[in-house]
Amino acid sequence: MEEKKKLWKHIKAWVDGEEVILDADKYIITRSKKVKKDWRRQFSVETIKGNTKLYGFLSVAISALFIGIMLSVVNDLPEFGNPSNPVDNEVMERYLESGIEETGAVNFVAGMILDYRAFDTFAEANVLFLAVMSVVLLLKKDKQNYSEKEERENREDDFFDENEKRPILKIGGKILAPLIILYGIYVVLNGHLSPGGGFSGGTIIGAGLILYASAYGQKKMQTFFTFRTFTLICVGGLLTYCACKSYSFFTGANHVGFEIPKGIPGNILSAGFILPLNICVGLIVACTMYGFYALFTKGDI
Amino acid sequence: MREAIAAVFIIMGLIVFLLSIFGIFRFKYVLNRIHAAALGDTLGLASIVVGLMILDMNFFAGAKLFLIILFFWMSGPIATHSIAKVEVLTNKSYEERVREK
Repeated sequence: MEEKKKLWKHIKAWVDGEEVILDADKYIITRSKKVKKDWRRQFSVETIKGNTKLYGFLSVAISALFIGIMLSVVNDLPEFGNPSNPVDNEVMERYLESGIEETGAVNFVAGMILDYRAFDTFAEANVLFLAVMSVVLLLKKDKQNYSEKEERENREDDFFDENEKRPILKIGGKILAPLIILYGIYVVLNGHLSPGGGFSGGTIIGAGLILYASAYGQKKMQTFFTFRTFTLICVGGLLTYCACKSYSFFTGANHVGFEIPKGIPGNILSAGFILPLNICVGLIVACTMYGFYALFTKGDI
Repeated sequence: MREAIAAVFIIMGLIVFLLSIFGIFRFKYVLNRIHAAALGDTLGLASIVVGLMILDMNFFAGAKLFLIILFFWMSGPIATHSIAKVEVLTNKSYEERVREK
């Protein structure tokens, strides 16, 4: 009877919006503290040292398992160098026969890396982006990692650069840097027609930028190439690449139905998405090259 | 006849390259090595390219090869100059080393 009353009271309180715990004292006693498992302690150096036998056995067993899986996969692969392998005839023939028709690029390599295997090239551009971002993370100067001594050295370098009496490097940079950058742009834009493409052209543009920066100094470079433009170009290039290729993958990975006009093979405006993709890759590579140079020398772009 | 003249030029360029590589490994100090390396970049490359121009005898190919010579004769000495400048500015015992070697 009493218990029922208690329960009723409890329900009433619960309806009213209060929180009532039945038998509060008992509850507190029986409530045990949750034991938190400390994973770091469980796998610390001491415990591993204590269980050397177990861990040694486990490491050998796991490596043996993976080696076995890999060897069994390799065993199933076709023999290396066999002339009847699919790699040696079907793929190559297909690329050479229907490459121009399917990609619209006269340069087969561009058609391969930016159309058949565009996803792979996207990952390569991502690798470059990640590399330059980790360098920015480590070497970009701010208040925490920048001592007064380094600042003084930097100022001395700037002083030497500004008070240079012999203008050999400056005149050379003035004549050569625009030509080098122009040639790089030509290589990028002509990537689907002649040997070259985004990676090589971007490297040439980056070399021109490095020459200009080493001749005229960081301050002159920052009038048109700051950290903001650097990040904008890198991220914009990657996102444009992603959008262009997502279109292809969403429409069935073979441009089925929604084909982009291929144009006449040999024209500069042809080959579907290869030209914009080349431009994206070239911009990313050029920014990466210059970013490495600037970050390693001055710690700022 | 044309091939013979071209061969003479190309062989001369190869000999100059050989001498410059020999000099790079023979000398011990930076400035001496720069002197040897710049020889191959200017004279050796120029004579090889002139030989190729004579061999091909095509105006546009010759013009492109001439652009290569122009580029190397501009960029090579400038690069050599800036390397030498950095060496002189940063190496404190430079005068002793020049006198020794």
